[in-house]
Amino acid sequence: MGVILDGLVLGLQLALLSVGIVFVYGLGGVLNLAHGQVAVAGGLVAALLVQARQHPAVAGLVGVLAAGLLALGMDRTLLQPAYRRRGEERLLLALILTLGASFALDGFYTFRYPNLALSLRLAKPSVEVLGITVRTASLAVGALSLATFGLLLAFLKGTRLGKAIRCVIQNEAGAWLCGVDVDRARTVTLFLSGLLAGVAAVGQGFFSFLGPDMGPEFTILSLIVAVVGGVRSLTGTFLASLLLGVVNAALSYWVGTYLTWIALLAVAVATLLVRPEGLLAYWP
Amino acid sequence: MLEVQDLWAGYGDVAVVRGVSLRVAEGEATAVLGPNGAGKTTLFRALVGLVRPRRGSVRFEGRSLEGLRPHQVVRQGIAYVAAERELFPQLTVLENLELGAYARPDGLRERLAAVFDLFPRLAERKSQRAGTLSGGEQQMLAIARALMGRPKLLLLDEPSTGLAPRLVAELYRRLDLLRHQGVTILLAEQQVGAALSLCSRVYVLKNGSLAFEGDSSELRGSSHLHSAYLGGS
Repeated sequence: MGVILDGLVLGLQLALLSVGIVFVYGLGGVLNLAHGQVAVAGGLVAALLVQARQHPAVAGLVGVLAAGLLALGMDRTLLQPAYRRRGEERLLLALILTLGASFALDGFYTFRYPNLALSLRLAKPSVEVLGITVRTASLAVGALSLATFGLLLAFLKGTRLGKAIRCVIQNEAGAWLCGVDVDRARTVTLFLSGLLAGVAAVGQGFFSFLGPDMGPEFTILSLIVAVVGGVRSLTGTFLASLLLGVVNAALSYWVGTYLTWIALLAVAVATLLVRPEGLLAYWP
Repeated sequence: MLEVQDLWAGYGDVAVVRGVSLRVAEGEATAVLGPNGAGKTTLFRALVGLVRPRRGSVRFEGRSLEGLRPHQVVRQGIAYVAAERELFPQLTVLENLELGAYARPDGLRERLAAVFDLFPRLAERKSQRAGTLSGGEQQMLAIARALMGRPKLLLLDEPSTGLAPRLVAELYRRLDLLRHQGVTILLAEQQVGAALSLCSRVYVLKNGSLAFEGDSSELRGSSHLHSAYLGGS
């Protein structure tokens, strides 16, 4: 039972990571291979602040903001040449650019901060809920993720800019013609994807720990989710995250981490073979 | 109202529009005719900033539109209804219309009432997703969405594409109504008869350059223009 709960919380974490990558792809036609490294940047900034004896809440918030700003910076500099191209050319160029950025960031993190890790511990490690013992960290991270999603939904459904972003995902030309500044919507989306990734990284710090070398793992996990959930569908992404989170937690518990990775990649490959548009796509 | 001088535009190394000059007078309906591939769509895309012109100038109400992005052109009062309609298929008819007023959200309710008055069918389909509408309804929605931004100039690219003849006639009656309400119209068409029924001034494009300009009565009279550039109507 605890495993299932951990799996769901892990799934919410995955969703925070993947929604960003899917959003940026849907809106900008760009697959950001440095997405995991953006998340790690947020975690490391938080870790540095914790080391400097800042309050964990302050450290977490600044870390999240740092991840958002890194993504924003990538949008304003690195990705500009890609935006000037269209379709497959843009996708390909952005893949190469962000892959390069991911290597550079990974190298920087492991060279400069080889032993830095974000590990936040709550005062009370576990509580009893309805007769079962659960980790307080799981509850806290679950609540944090849900609150973040609540804010995201409120922004997308309730604000003018949010509506504009939704319509760019559906039809870029149509959005331009309605008077939406698509470039600005794209920049805001990259910033948001960075913030969400930052929340995931800080959550990881509560859940277990976050190290400087975890970028590639984060990127690959979110890509697997995007493949299974359908790269155009936010609801699909969300459901796929929860599913893979539970599968991940259950397999790690019973058969070990190494085989879990193989199983997750196998799920992604199987999805591509059976339903290339995404197993859980077609939820609007 | 709109003045285009020696406009060149294209994609990559290919110039599709080669030195087109035209003017659209306020309150009038003007047609750009020509076969497929004559450059009509590229001309329109260059006017609204979706394609960057290589050379030439576009002035709207005396102001240059040079270097403006599409969303800025929309704010100047020019609305473009693309041949592909460019709707938001997953959103409802109402949401599509609301987004049409994105640049000018004031007076939303009156605008909605006005477009529902013009296209009553859309009022019936209000909460249906745009992607599930018929071709004719989608065309109406595309025009209605453009009108939500209260444009002074409406650019229509092949509005009759994919419509049954009866629907084309109905659509052009609505467009005539719009013109009487004071909306200036610039229209690209392959269906010469329909376009000439609405427009007083006509330009004919061939391979990216103007092959004819004049009043629609002149074009109607000259049979060789019909056969040479339009293959009859």
